[in-house]
Amino acid sequence: MSGVIDVSARVPKKLSLSQRLYLPEILGGMAVTMRHFLKNLIRIRNLPTILYPERKRNYSDRFRGKHILKTREDGTLKCVACYMCAQACPAECISIVAGEHPKISYEKYPVVFDIDMLRCVFCGFCVDACPKDAIWMTRDYEMAFFNREEAVFGIDRLREEPGSQVKDGYGYRPYYPGDGTVPPADASSEPVPPGDGERARMRIHGNLPAYRPSAPGVRPGGAP
Amino acid sequence: MSTVLPPALSTASEKIRARLEQSPLAGKVEIRDLDIPTLEVFPENWIDLARFLRDDFQCRYDLYLDLAGVDNLRRPGRKTRFEAVVHLHSLENNDHIRVKVLMPDAESPTLPSAIEVWPAANWFEREAFDLFGFQFTGHPNLRRLLCHDAFVGHALRKDYSPGQRWFFTEEDLRWPDWAKDTNVRAGHFETQTLSIGPSHPATHGIVHLIARMDGERIARAETQIGYMHRCFEKMSETHTWNQVIPYTDRLNYVSAMINGVGYVRTVEKMLGIEIPKRGVLIRTILSEFSRIMDHCVNIGANLVDMGALTNFWYLFQNRENIYGLLEACCGARLTVSYVRIGGLAIDVPSDFVPRCRSLLESIPTFIDDVEKLVTNNRILRNRFEGTGVVTREQAIAWGLTGPMLRASGVAYDVRRSRPYDLYDQFDWDVAIAPDGDNFARYLVRIEEMRQSLKIIRQALDVFPQSGPVNSDDWHVVLPPKDAVYHDMESLIYHFKIVMEGIRVPKGERYEWIEGANGELGFYAVAEGGGGPYRLKPRPPCFPAMACFEKIIEGGSISDAVATLGSLNIIAGELER
Repeated sequence: MSGVIDVSARVPKKLSLSQRLYLPEILGGMAVTMRHFLKNLIRIRNLPTILYPERKRNYSDRFRGKHILKTREDGTLKCVACYMCAQACPAECISIVAGEHPKISYEKYPVVFDIDMLRCVFCGFCVDACPKDAIWMTRDYEMAFFNREEAVFGIDRLREEPGSQVKDGYGYRPYYPGDGTVPPADASSEPVPPGDGERARMRIHGNLPAYRPSAPGVRPGGAP
Repeated sequence: MSTVLPPALSTASEKIRARLEQSPLAGKVEIRDLDIPTLEVFPENWIDLARFLRDDFQCRYDLYLDLAGVDNLRRPGRKTRFEAVVHLHSLENNDHIRVKVLMPDAESPTLPSAIEVWPAANWFEREAFDLFGFQFTGHPNLRRLLCHDAFVGHALRKDYSPGQRWFFTEEDLRWPDWAKDTNVRAGHFETQTLSIGPSHPATHGIVHLIARMDGERIARAETQIGYMHRCFEKMSETHTWNQVIPYTDRLNYVSAMINGVGYVRTVEKMLGIEIPKRGVLIRTILSEFSRIMDHCVNIGANLVDMGALTNFWYLFQNRENIYGLLEACCGARLTVSYVRIGGLAIDVPSDFVPRCRSLLESIPTFIDDVEKLVTNNRILRNRFEGTGVVTREQAIAWGLTGPMLRASGVAYDVRRSRPYDLYDQFDWDVAIAPDGDNFARYLVRIEEMRQSLKIIRQALDVFPQSGPVNSDDWHVVLPPKDAVYHDMESLIYHFKIVMEGIRVPKGERYEWIEGANGELGFYAVAEGGGGPYRLKPRPPCFPAMACFEKIIEGGSISDAVATLGSLNIIAGELER
């Protein structure tokens, strides 16, 4: 605890003569800006401004970017379609359709797992909510779309391909190397058909559930 | 036979009760002790009580903080369906009280306007009229504020379905009556109405200012807001307690961390849980950095309006570095979503303390450079001194808090008047300036940045190297991940929190902290269930924007731009 200070006493009430004559003050100001200019010129690599498309900011390994669905060693999705991420999502941007997995130890898997990237607020609540370590975030933040349909990412665009490099690296996740927590062990490494198979079959048969935009714009009676 | 005595009142409530007994209001006001003394009154006695509370020498509740409407439709056991909940502060006695005006008429809830007693009530009452349909008799300009004029119904009533959409066209845009006739003074051909905004570089957000100009001077002005209303309060009623946290980031998005801390503190107090010291200090350090960032943005943008562009770059470099620290902690720069009820989303990275220390090294050099460039600059002094003056009496009457109030000479800082977290253990000063003009506000903000650095330095000195950051109450905080993956009981706790939300006991609470631009309060009502029944933030810049039209009257249009910049209006928080 301490007192109260009156900051108006810190500055002179009346400006001095040299301050009222613009020129000395202009020179003093130029000295400050020139110092910054020269410092930046000498250490041009450390400029705070980033020339974006050519150079990119180096984000931390907690960055909350595009999601990724983790896979087991056999290439199947770790997700068991428990709907906890969809429930935790404040923006209600995750829609899941669950299916029965042919392999008995996996029980369930997501037939459809869509994230609407235009609704998503990148809060990371889905990562916190997942009990199976199945959804992480990456450092990929370059998502631009030509239309709204394109912004809905299905399993095909979210799943992590085993063995391939994740674009820009992993971001926000439940545990980090060396923080003492234990990553979950896989149930099995026996290969099974990849998770997208069911979706492809539904698409062929024409019974793939269509994406529903939530909160339909009901126009109440009497509105113009 | 023994009669059941009502529970004994706290000292503060007892004092008010004793004074009320001697006034004509005796027996008409009910006093209860909730988190703060709570008075219940019916509309017919409200104005008498308001005058009593403001003028009585023992009470002196001079600062009108907030008005929150509550619809008790799904809250059984209440006396009336509608309540207007007013929060007041007494600068002299340094305490808060709550007054509930109970409106028996559920069809058209009516109560007298308190604008005569506290001018600050102006916009708060318009907002309650807009969102709840409260009819404030005697209010001079009872029009919608946040919703547009073509809106039908009152959005925060419990029987209003949130899925409805109302379309607004240009014909629905309503201008004030005085703006239509420009020839008030016949023969004075220069009187004309000027529309500034909604999208104008000087408005720093989307604010519509309608001004009647008499030459260069503003004869009369009115601000229209609502272009960025995002239904924060309605949406929080349909989400769980934790899901509101990302929404709070978008209130004051310039210092998002402070909003989150203010919100979760409210819920934590309702739950009655404590956070480990390490968690509290992380919140304090990042909140103070956010405050510096907020002041950097405010001063930088204000100086850009004055044509001093270089300072903007210097101050924004600080902001850039602080964003780097926040991103390393939580993974996002602007919308941090870092706090959780019961602690934090994740512990800070291992290089947190060295990073903070290097920021403590770099930030003062930029502040010094800005001071060298502008504080004694003649142009800036001419533009800032004596413009946008708010006197001490006006500042209190208009309900201003934060740097605005302190620049008018009132040393009210929540961190000092009601030290929360560990603020009472740090050595720092409250910066005030008596003049109340734009220059005073600039000086107060510059000094507050230095004081924040001082607080951070002391917080880092006592920062525990390791330890938990979260409460260990698994009814509130998600269990550690390895426990969730391997342990059934932890998984059940995890499931209950995610799927149903945190069980907050029934009740209500107003918790307030010092936001970057004033007192940031959250009034929360819990009625069982996993989410809030009602959540009302007390936006610090709301009263400042309300009085803007009064401050600029009589000044020139260029001064209005300087003044608007120095109020620190954040549209996200203003309109929620």
